[in-house]
Amino acid sequence: MARRIFLTFTVILLFAIGILPVLSMLIKSMIVDGHFSLASYGGLLTSSHQWTLMGHSLVLSSLVTALTVAVGMPLGVLLGKTDLPFRRFFTILFVVPLLIPPYIIAVSWFDLLGRQGLLAHLVGVSATGTITHFLFGLPGCVAVLFSIFLPIPMLLTMIFLRTINPGLEEAGRLVSGWRGVMKGITIPLILPGVLLSAILVFLLSFGEFSVPNFLRYDVFPVESFTQFSAFYNFKAATAAAVPLAAVTLILLLAEAAFLRERTYQLRPSPELKRLPLVKLGAYRKWLFVSVATAGLMIVIVPIVILVIQSAGLNAYAEALNRAGDSLLRSLVYAVIGATLLTVLGFVTGYLIQTKALRYWRSVDSLTIFLFALPSTVIGIGLISLWNTPWTNFIYSTPAIIILGYLAKYTALTSRISVTQLAQIPPSMEEAAQVAGAGWFRRMAFIVAPLARRGLLAGWLVGYIFSLRDTGITMLVYPAGHETLPVRIFTLMANGSPELIAALCMVMITATLLPVSIFWMIPGIMTRKAIR
Amino acid sequence: MLSRSIYFILIVLLFVSCSAPQDQIVVYVSEDQVFSEPILKDFERATGIKVKAVYDTEEAKSTGAMNRLIAEKDNPQADVYWANEPIRAEVLKQKGISTSYVSPKAKDIPPVFKDPGGYWTGFSARARVLIVNNSVKEKPKTILAYTDPRWKGKSVITNPLFGTTTSEIAALFTIWGDEQAKEFMTAMRNNDVAISTNNGESADFVATRQYDFSLVDSDDAVNRMRQEKPVTMVYPDQGENDIGCLIVPNAAVLIKGAPHPEAAGKLIDYLLSRETEKKLAFADCAQIPLHPGVQTPPELKPIKDIKVMQVNYAEVARKMVEIQPFLKAWMGL
Repeated sequence: MARRIFLTFTVILLFAIGILPVLSMLIKSMIVDGHFSLASYGGLLTSSHQWTLMGHSLVLSSLVTALTVAVGMPLGVLLGKTDLPFRRFFTILFVVPLLIPPYIIAVSWFDLLGRQGLLAHLVGVSATGTITHFLFGLPGCVAVLFSIFLPIPMLLTMIFLRTINPGLEEAGRLVSGWRGVMKGITIPLILPGVLLSAILVFLLSFGEFSVPNFLRYDVFPVESFTQFSAFYNFKAATAAAVPLAAVTLILLLAEAAFLRERTYQLRPSPELKRLPLVKLGAYRKWLFVSVATAGLMIVIVPIVILVIQSAGLNAYAEALNRAGDSLLRSLVYAVIGATLLTVLGFVTGYLIQTKALRYWRSVDSLTIFLFALPSTVIGIGLISLWNTPWTNFIYSTPAIIILGYLAKYTALTSRISVTQLAQIPPSMEEAAQVAGAGWFRRMAFIVAPLARRGLLAGWLVGYIFSLRDTGITMLVYPAGHETLPVRIFTLMANGSPELIAALCMVMITATLLPVSIFWMIPGIMTRKAIR
Repeated sequence: MLSRSIYFILIVLLFVSCSAPQDQIVVYVSEDQVFSEPILKDFERATGIKVKAVYDTEEAKSTGAMNRLIAEKDNPQADVYWANEPIRAEVLKQKGISTSYVSPKAKDIPPVFKDPGGYWTGFSARARVLIVNNSVKEKPKTILAYTDPRWKGKSVITNPLFGTTTSEIAALFTIWGDEQAKEFMTAMRNNDVAISTNNGESADFVATRQYDFSLVDSDDAVNRMRQEKPVTMVYPDQGENDIGCLIVPNAAVLIKGAPHPEAAGKLIDYLLSRETEKKLAFADCAQIPLHPGVQTPPELKPIKDIKVMQVNYAEVARKMVEIQPFLKAWMGL
């Protein structure tokens, strides 16, 4: 009974945090002068411009998805299934761009390839004209988003590879070489993971605003943003957000229909230790060089450019002077956000894993829907719901930022918990139950300790995504509570490139340092959790 | 025990939601943070009043300060709005979000830069100027150069759907009338004008000689001149019968229902002071002081030496909304 009440309460909480703001925004957009009206929706997708933007969004998302999956899946196989040297190092290296706010990568490439960038200084403005032209537009957006989202198919491929029973591949090896085994057994078994990664990349690219905006490629989220920011029209902004939500919903329904049962309960193979590795033989050296070159271009070059651009202690001194307080706030909010995300994700993960309530599937879909929904939509929704004199204790305090994190990122910690909980035999909890332990005691002393690796991994992911968030925070942060990513954005208007680069480096360090510390200090336990 | 905890939480929430300490102030700022933040820090040091700010992000054309003020109309969080142009201040007035405050510090600011009812007061302005590449021998002296066949394909203008370019086009509509202004826009289009995304980009295009000239804000031109780029700044339409140069002042606005009205008055007085104008003139934003006699850097003309376009900013704000469909169509949207 206690379990049922608590889980129901959690679902209501999740609904209040995530769905109520969106509903509030939708309802307000349909009320004009106190009466129901769909006038705001009258012009929806009626102009050729809106269709053009929708086309741009679909083209951009499709290209990014195709490219990341085409490269990410083989890369995942190389890093997860072969004897390629430095596999763990490369895995970490390629994940780095996903941990950094997307626009920082765009800023870095701009610092290199822009009209007044490092390359122009080296070889002259005229020689870099074509490159700059390509950077600002579809090719630049595709390249930057590709580098950011590449880890998603790569990691999901690696995760799904670990779920394959080695016996199947060994049986295949009796009658075929590795090429045949990969084609006939391995690839078909990891296909659901690859398709899931494709959907995730598509949705994330589709809702991404900061990179296309920085690189001046108009996409559909611009329409909602413009209605909100340039014309101050909340109702039209809401209406313009509806197609974004609709596309998100359609893809998630497709995922639920075709993939859900195959992607829910990812259990590492019980015979993981004898997971067979493909010997690359003569190709080993060349593949190592190729992967190293890709890592250099995609990850190391952008970071090195920022280091060069920010060279000198003055830039860092000014950065800390101007944004030291924002950095501290970012860290505090990220820690609080990550902790609450871990708890909420753990409980919802438990609900989904144990199917404890009838509507467990809806809860899972709800968290994924909110994760895929563009941040602008959630941000406007939060303002719409909480901006009243009675809820000032939320709206005018950092609580509004934390609510934004919970609404947007619970899916991540929830999915990590589902995966971890799937590995705990139900008999553990059942034994405690038979011994007379109540549900809360079972959760606190049996389930949570057994799921500690998943909790730690969830906390780290929650921390990173809370720390890097700009979309929601930018819209809702109370006066005097701006975070570091927001301050970087506001200082970009006429701030010196050295200062911006230094701030970006501070941001990257703030993101990666705690992850590295967690990685190194607790030793093998944490590594396993992340793996 | 439980009821005591609930009681405690309610007291805390009540305290948090109702208290408005008068030794702090909330200001929403559309002026770039790099320029506005030092001024607000100076105010903190001078008065001991803590400033909490929300800054706008022009680079991302982000939601920023203005939208928040509109969203918070029934539950104002801000005391003061520092607008980077008076049109936004006018929109706030028309939407009933601002209230009147006549600052004693604004006595000698010319009336054209103030709302007659005190709903906003201008200070530290940008001029809308032509930035011209130094390789151009005979420099354009009027914005009509955009329609002159001599400059066909050689000029660039910022997207007129955003920022001060929208204000300038709307101002032309109020001065010339709809018909003449539309003719000007069409002729400019036919003269193969290029479109950039912001004034900074326009200035860079001219500095790198991709185009000969562009209409930009004076701070964009002064910045390039200070960077020793080969450009010259021309105040357009300064002849006797010309329309003059559009001046875009910052504007200080008191928000209706401000939680800290006393501190708000002090901040507005501080922003409108001669000292603040001098600081903003010599900062990288190079803004023109509106108080007579305030020292200006060598790149800028004092306001008394500029022939100012005589516009009614309230009318410009209304016209700006009215011409949006025309501008969208002009942009091919």
